[in-house]
Amino acid sequence: MRELFRKRWVKAMACILVIFSIGLVGYYIFSAGYGDGLEATMDEAGVDESEPVFSGLLDYGGNYQASLAMGIIGFIVTLLAVYLLARLLRKNEA
Amino acid sequence: MHIPDGLMAPAVAALGWAAAIVVLALTVKVLNRKLDDRQITLMAVLAAGIFVAQMLNFPIGGGTTGHLLGAALATIILGPFAGILIITTILIIQALVFGDGGLTALGLNILNMAVIGSLVAWAFYRAMRGRQEKVAVFVAAFASVFTVALVAAAELAISHSMSAGVYGIAGEIAFPAMAVYHLFIGIGEAIITSGVVLYIGQVSPGMLKLHKPTWAVKPKEVGVDA
Repeated sequence: MRELFRKRWVKAMACILVIFSIGLVGYYIFSAGYGDGLEATMDEAGVDESEPVFSGLLDYGGNYQASLAMGIIGFIVTLLAVYLLARLLRKNEA
Repeated sequence: MHIPDGLMAPAVAALGWAAAIVVLALTVKVLNRKLDDRQITLMAVLAAGIFVAQMLNFPIGGGTTGHLLGAALATIILGPFAGILIITTILIIQALVFGDGGLTALGLNILNMAVIGSLVAWAFYRAMRGRQEKVAVFVAAFASVFTVALVAAAELAISHSMSAGVYGIAGEIAFPAMAVYHLFIGIGEAIITSGVVLYIGQVSPGMLKLHKPTWAVKPKEVGVDA
């Protein structure tokens, strides 16, 4: 875990989060109200999305501040999950 | 392109789970012989970056948006098996923590976006990188999204025909619609992936695992096989 916090990686992570916080402004201006390609295809076919089996512990948020917070939470969860999973895989081999 | 619950026929969703589990078992077997500290850290940071990038949908016109898939980006930087692991982990977190993509469809989502997305990107990139590196990155990224879209359309069509219209979408609607939307989303993916790989190639060429791209090589190093 020590290496993860070396200056270079911290800089890279900070850069990603700054780009995300700026990109999120563009998302809310241009894209937030629209669905993706699969959702548009479902609309064309007149298929409604059914109730999910599990709706998740959180959601992506409905405004800039909430989405920024969820993005940071997702960033940290993903970072730790992949890091620990990859370490675990290597440990098992050793 | 996250498939929600209840869209695909149960048999198609089950087949997706089976295929995803087989490939993930192989991925774990291959990866644990290959990972070093630097790769592990890079995998984690790249995965976290792809997660937030996937939240940023971009408009493609006609009231539709797309977002980065990231399989090509992860594959080009770290190889196909690391790409599969990264995208799979992201999909699991999205489904369990954020409710993005159905749990019953998670196997299909992993099969499509993580496995097929990474392997198609790797195949195109490997086939083309010797001739024109930048074009290879662009084409690999585009091909990964477009192929995944066509595979998803096939799954929709199969679900529709095997359930007599209860699940899925008829092929005559699914194929053209998915192809047209993902033509533009694929171009967006290719532009973003090319930009990120080009940037990494310039500031930290050692990060590119599969090869050292020619644009990242200093003049005196040209001709030296990395």
